Amino acid sequence: MSAILAITRKDLRLMFRDKGEMFFTFLFPMILATFFGFIFGGGSDGGSKIEVALVVESDSKLAAGIAGDLQADVAFEVVSVQTRALATDLVRAGKVTAAVILPASMQDGIGNLFGGGGGIPIEAIVDPSRRAEVGLIQGKLNELAFRQFPKLFSDGDAMTQFASTARTSVAQSSSLTPGQKLAASALIAAGDSLSKSLITDAAPADGEASGSGVAGWSPVAITIQELPAKKGGPRNAFDVSFPQGIVWGLAGCVMAFATSLVAERMRGTLDRLRLAPITRSQLLAGKGLACFITALLVQVLLLGLAIVAFGSTVEQPFMLCVAFVATAFAFSGLSMLIAGACRTEAQAQGAGRGALLLLAMIGGGTIPLFLMPPFFKSVSMASPFRWAVSAIEGPFWRGSNLSDQLLPLAILTAIGIVGFTVGVRATRSAAR
Amino acid sequence: MNACSHAYPSQQTEYAVQHSMLALRNIRKSFGSTIAVQDLTLDVQQGEIFGLLGPNGAGKSTTIAIATGLVAPTSGEVNLLGQGSPSQPSVRRSIGLAPQEITLYAELTARENLLFYAALYGVEHAGKRVDELLNLVELDTRATSRVSTFSGGMKRRLNLAAALVHDPKLLLLDEPTAGVDPQSRNRILELVRELSAQGKTIVYTTHYMEEAAKICHRVGIVDHGKMLDVGSPRELIARHGGSSAVTVTRSGVDERVVTVDPAAEVARQLAIGGATGLRIEQPDLESVFLNLTGRSLRE
Repeated sequence: MSAILAITRKDLRLMFRDKGEMFFTFLFPMILATFFGFIFGGGSDGGSKIEVALVVESDSKLAAGIAGDLQADVAFEVVSVQTRALATDLVRAGKVTAAVILPASMQDGIGNLFGGGGGIPIEAIVDPSRRAEVGLIQGKLNELAFRQFPKLFSDGDAMTQFASTARTSVAQSSSLTPGQKLAASALIAAGDSLSKSLITDAAPADGEASGSGVAGWSPVAITIQELPAKKGGPRNAFDVSFPQGIVWGLAGCVMAFATSLVAERMRGTLDRLRLAPITRSQLLAGKGLACFITALLVQVLLLGLAIVAFGSTVEQPFMLCVAFVATAFAFSGLSMLIAGACRTEAQAQGAGRGALLLLAMIGGGTIPLFLMPPFFKSVSMASPFRWAVSAIEGPFWRGSNLSDQLLPLAILTAIGIVGFTVGVRATRSAAR
Repeated sequence: MNACSHAYPSQQTEYAVQHSMLALRNIRKSFGSTIAVQDLTLDVQQGEIFGLLGPNGAGKSTTIAIATGLVAPTSGEVNLLGQGSPSQPSVRRSIGLAPQEITLYAELTARENLLFYAALYGVEHAGKRVDELLNLVELDTRATSRVSTFSGGMKRRLNLAAALVHDPKLLLLDEPTAGVDPQSRNRILELVRELSAQGKTIVYTTHYMEEAAKICHRVGIVDHGKMLDVGSPRELIARHGGSSAVTVTRSGVDERVVTVDPAAEVARQLAIGGATGLRIEQPDLESVFLNLTGRSLRE
């Protein structure tokens, strides 16, 4: 095992010291993915804003206030839509994180707080797979409702009507003693007076006025309906461009290791390795492991960049890890196959790289698979890159289930096995 | 030097096979219609420096490759250290090879190269061993430099060190001085002698007859894949070197006299008088090769 690790360490060290291979394996795919992401419009609007569809059914000032504050908030990209049906479609299509509905039952005045609803009614339709963003939206809606709080008490007509109704109820009550009725009437009068004073003195409402003295009690009744987004479409351009970048990274990785194996044969270092007291399988396992680790690193770094820099999220992390491993295995096998098929470094650099570029192009490296015409979609099935993209995109943004993943994973595994088997045999026969 | 050399070419005894560090029996190797090695039989004894001398393309490197198991012979038998075929990893552990090519990783440092090979062989205290070897080949001051920055001579010395990293009993050096400057060549020849003094058995291929004559206990003359003869340089010269020659210059004219006793001939010419120049040509391994093959070693 230590011999295998020694070969792996040596190959990784050589790989990381080769500036050209490093560029084509890591940097170029990152540049490409970022470039295409922006070209496709992924980063043009500042990307990190949470997209929300807003439906205002209420014609109250309160609803207008909440809607205005939400639209002005820098953390949100608000799309105003006319009906809740349209908003629901947007959530289902994954085009927005949530739909916020300010229902017709939302009224001006304090009645919102003490009416049957138990608070300002707000409805939200959310995609449950985006819980972190949904949590932010809930917090923001509470904050916006608090901001409207002074307005509820500064609606003079509503407050006067509320006080009048209360006075009548107290006066007609048979259960209250005269003393209690006097105290209640004084309390109502004081409240009415406070309301009138708020109307007279109130400064324009602002966020600082909210919340004080109401701890433990929420003035907002947010009703949340979960609606899973229909999978099948990318959430932004980077969801597509980064798997494309991975294609080119894998191509660079395969070429680097295939060429390195051919170079070892041509320069005689392979003879020295063969002379060491290790088996041929150990030798090739060491080299394959180095390629496997690099292929894994390419995928992790590229999707890591998509997540950290461009706000992409992973639908199914575990399945994505499985896809990474299967892809790395397949492309390690492919590098063995090319190394076995090419007799010279020139062959590997020319024919090998040419074949890989072609496979990368038809496999989704240039045009995303879902944009390909049907004929090219069929042709792309001949490319291992196509299956890598399918395996990665499934858990990354398509939300594919296990049965959807089985085919690409099985094909990638088969490519790896065939690549290693044929590559090892070809390498053996290529030895003098 | 072992007396078993007299067993060449066909009378190999069981004793010789059992005590050979390297025994090749009737080795034949063909690549398509090209025959690289023809019925080559050879015994290298413990502690000796055995030279394989022949021109480029004579089959020396193929013989080395067969001896190490890198190339399978078309027919014949290879036995290393009396333990069997080099296809067994345990047998291969006892041999070290410095191939004709520089088999080092140019983008690794000298130290990293040696540590890598040490790891392949599971060498204990690899760091200490590598330091010793870097001292031995006088590259300790360049231990952390990448091989790509080395001169040809430095690369050759490191190539030799890489073959020694696991302290092999049998060392095969394939043209170890090819393309190096005289200073590095002398250092490599000194190293080979030092290693031999430490008890290592060395097979040394070269097309430089001066090197073979200088360091080898025994030499095998190879041409067109055939072993033409084996013996000490002195024995080979005595068998195939032919006569000496004395060239006398009188009045600007050279006269070449072939003789078996050059000292007597010089005395005779001096007695005649009038000589303005005298040059003695003694046979060497070049003469041996010329007489055996009808052509020069460097053709």
